[in-house]
Amino acid sequence: MATDTRVILICSGKGGVGKTTLTANLGISLARQGLSTAVLDADFGLRNLDLLLGLENRIVYTAQEVLEEECRLDQALVKHKQESNLSLLPAGNPRMLDWLKPDDMKRIVEMLKEQFDYVLIDCPAGVEDGFKNAMAASQEAIIVTNPEVSAVRDADRVIGLLNTNAIKPVQLVLNRVRPKMMASQEMLSIDDVTDILALPLLGLVLEDEQVIVSTNRGEPLTLNSVNSPAAKCYLNIAKRLLGEDIPLIDPVEESSGFGAKFRRLMQTKIF
Amino acid sequence: MESISKRIVLNMDNNNSSNWELYLKNELKKMNSNNIEIDCKDLNLSCIDIMSIIKISSKFNCTISGFFSTSPKTIISTQSLGYPSQFIFNPYSKKSVNKSDIISDQSKAHFHQGTVRSGEYIDSPGDLLILGDVNPGAIVSAEGNVIIWGKLLGIAHAGKKGNSKAKIAALHLRPVQLRIATKVARGPQEKPQIGLAEQARIFSEKIVISPLETM
Repeated sequence: MATDTRVILICSGKGGVGKTTLTANLGISLARQGLSTAVLDADFGLRNLDLLLGLENRIVYTAQEVLEEECRLDQALVKHKQESNLSLLPAGNPRMLDWLKPDDMKRIVEMLKEQFDYVLIDCPAGVEDGFKNAMAASQEAIIVTNPEVSAVRDADRVIGLLNTNAIKPVQLVLNRVRPKMMASQEMLSIDDVTDILALPLLGLVLEDEQVIVSTNRGEPLTLNSVNSPAAKCYLNIAKRLLGEDIPLIDPVEESSGFGAKFRRLMQTKIF
Repeated sequence: MESISKRIVLNMDNNNSSNWELYLKNELKKMNSNNIEIDCKDLNLSCIDIMSIIKISSKFNCTISGFFSTSPKTIISTQSLGYPSQFIFNPYSKKSVNKSDIISDQSKAHFHQGTVRSGEYIDSPGDLLILGDVNPGAIVSAEGNVIIWGKLLGIAHAGKKGNSKAKIAALHLRPVQLRIATKVARGPQEKPQIGLAEQARIFSEKIVISPLETM
């Protein structure tokens, strides 16, 4: 039984920035480090964490049956096929939203805390009830955002709400970074984003076509294709979450040609 | 060395206020404590003034444990230098009201510390002082002036009950929109010069932005 379980909310405000992808990959990466990890799909309206993990066809019971005491927690938990340290607690059907209260989420998380070292909550988009339920049950949070004004604006709103609910630490993951566009200043730079959000940066995730492929297959990137740029980023984020000191990569330097690569050999840029 | 801090009151009611340095030196000579608090009353002191207070005190082997003042400007100066300071509301502070129009009604002044984030709304029945950034999507408003020790990237409304003399001042003034009394203006498009504090006020029926004058 784990005593000091970390319950981490993964949220963004805006939809489609990569909350679920981060949850799945972080879950796999943490499990790979030997930590028993549970991922909880709190997106009851539009659930798809099970799809990303490729566990859709194994779901028998969901969080709904657990709350209604129609089954035990371990009956509802779906163990990952390859990564046995990782379990998924699937979201119930969307009609649950009518009666689900923050206290229900707290009850589920309390149950999960007894068995796991890490509980990752995949938060729904928006700042309405779904978000409030998910927030009530968590202790710390990771904000996912893209280098776009709309995503940053929504993230800012969510950070304000997290602050008023005394959730900390709140850390930032900047997703879908395109080094070339950042270098040519066509995209918001890392400094632009961190200036506005004023949060510590937990990591960057580079834009990677493989993410789409892996999503469609239901095999998170970190599971097999360890050489993909995004998979490396996810793994680094997991390690930083565990307290390892891994320097961030400068995407601008990453984008430039041979000269920069040579310079990087001589000197690793840390910021 | 005594551990209890003694308070020096810079009371300038009967004197010329430019003599406070002399007055402080005299008070420090009489002090038998090494740990002092300074009550600046309604003096409007800049960061440079505060630094010179600290310098003078250290010559007398005194360390300052905190500042008090009824002047928001002094509090902003001491806070920005990282000294513990307390703002005292003083409705009878006639002097600074007459002296500068940027500080209008201190009795109702609000002080906010921290970033104002998107969707948040801060309102003050008097002046509004913000120590932190105002992010895009946030709205800050006051019946008096809005002074921001940080970046203004959201919407600011000064003099919202119709005071057209109200000003908006910020260290980095690039708002989405500016409103003073009944006037509305879009924020400037070009990027500001780094380190240039600016203020917005109504000048011949229009909102204009100019470098910040001393308050």
